[in-house]
Amino acid sequence: MREILIVGRGGQGAQTAGNLLAQAFFSAGQYVQSFATYGGARRGTPVSSTIRVDARPIRLRCDVTQADALLCFDASLLDQALLNRTRPEALIVVNSVRSPEEFAVAGERRVYTIDGFKLAEAHNLGRFINSALLGAFCAALRDPPAEVMSRTISETTPDRRPENLAAFHAGFRTGEGIA
Amino acid sequence: MNAAGQRTLLTGNQAVAWAVRLCRPQVIPVYPITPQTPILEQISAFSAAGEMTAEILTPESEHSAIAASIAASLTGARVFTATSSQGLLLMHELLHWAAGVRSAVVMCNVNRTVASPWGFWPDQTDSLAQRDTGWIQWYTESAQESLDAVIMAFRLAEGVNLPVMICHDAFYVSHALETVIVPGQAAVDRFLPAYSPRFNIDPAAARSVGSNVDQTTYRRARKDIGAAMTEAGVMTDAIAAEWSGLTGRDQHGAVEIYRCEDAEQVFVTMGSLCGTVREAVDSLRGQGHRIGLLKVRQFRPFPGDQLRGLLRGRERVMVLDRNYSPGNGGILHQEARAALYGMQGQPAVLGYLAGVGGVNVTPADLVRMAIESGPVGQDDNKFTSVWL
Repeated sequence: MREILIVGRGGQGAQTAGNLLAQAFFSAGQYVQSFATYGGARRGTPVSSTIRVDARPIRLRCDVTQADALLCFDASLLDQALLNRTRPEALIVVNSVRSPEEFAVAGERRVYTIDGFKLAEAHNLGRFINSALLGAFCAALRDPPAEVMSRTISETTPDRRPENLAAFHAGFRTGEGIA
Repeated sequence: MNAAGQRTLLTGNQAVAWAVRLCRPQVIPVYPITPQTPILEQISAFSAAGEMTAEILTPESEHSAIAASIAASLTGARVFTATSSQGLLLMHELLHWAAGVRSAVVMCNVNRTVASPWGFWPDQTDSLAQRDTGWIQWYTESAQESLDAVIMAFRLAEGVNLPVMICHDAFYVSHALETVIVPGQAAVDRFLPAYSPRFNIDPAAARSVGSNVDQTTYRRARKDIGAAMTEAGVMTDAIAAEWSGLTGRDQHGAVEIYRCEDAEQVFVTMGSLCGTVREAVDSLRGQGHRIGLLKVRQFRPFPGDQLRGLLRGRERVMVLDRNYSPGNGGILHQEARAALYGMQGQPAVLGYLAGVGGVNVTPADLVRMAIESGPVGQDDNKFTSVWL
């Protein structure tokens, strides 16, 4: 079983990204379990979404405390407390203009950075970075397959579908280049 | 959609809404409350799309929602409602009424912490505090189980004329998106024919229900509810067996046992925690421990006879409670102890307050707990629950 953590600020689309990722893994034939924090969630506050992926039905009903992979929408959230929720060899993709070397993380964690805002703006998506980040994350994780993820985005995006798909593919190419 | 059903991705709340749609209720009075609201939202979406014909009522409070549910059920309509935590507590007075007048309302309660302090976390104290209201209560572990439970609950409620409350945990079930098989409409129609009430109210033939009675009549009404509860205890298993046959998936009645065949120690719990316990059981079995899980699906009527039969001769039972009754401890612990008391081959019964307030409980926590409990001894006679 793989456990994935997506962290962002309320309104950034981290929870939507989590649902899209879960849908794509499901479409690829995997069993998934995805849930998001709620209750205190409002624009600007930290929110997280978690996804479990397995070839067999998932029975666990507890929090993800040792994620295999982390997608972080806001570098200011990438602190020690968040890192403690990932495995020492976890894959981390973070939205930042900085270089990976500037993130001092312990263990064997692999950190990749992607400038989500630059990619979003280049595709007329303003501050909506989730499609671009999902692209980079899928490339780094090598799963779910790009065609499954892009089909999921295409089927579920209510607005600016071509722009979101283009941002996803741009993010994917960037991810392939760095991971 | 084929006969076996459609494999899809749903949250626990969406799965409940799907089940409700398939059961073709006629009246659905609901007041929104986190974390129940997505049930009402999904039902409203089905209704707006013309996929459900039920009359959806949204009165000004949960108290009125349950009042409308009771009245509608007594006219012979199939009725569903849903709530959570504070909403369920506001219904409390009328929960007694719902059972007392022998309505067949089916409700989903999303188990959420009770204020104060305020919170949105999984905790079963809200529904367990309604245990004496005369409602049948089921606790489910997954979105799939919640879906199947709603369908079976209508059969049971309408079969014995008692309301049924399906309880699923906030967050881990209500908001977890997972793989769910939605059965075909034809299978549900075959399993659940239209409600044909044994009695109903009708303006054309005026009569009243729940009116002022003498002592003997009151006592008889309570005994009748008791008899219906006994009947429900038998019917639950039969209904589960029938629905298993129609779906081709294992359904369970009042209890479910997991890897108990030669178990010396048995975890006993309810709701979403069962999934995590299964992982702990597998891990402990891998280390040579003879341990299993008894899941209590039906809390009312309490399956005491089944617990006695299944737990007789075990060394130790460890009851996990995601609820807390201040001044006494875990509610399931107290009830399980009482059921097992005094029988031959009585196991030692330990109680743990595990996950109260939605606190995270991992398989590792349970493995450690089971190993550290050591050999059966003096401590096993402790009456009070231990905080995990």
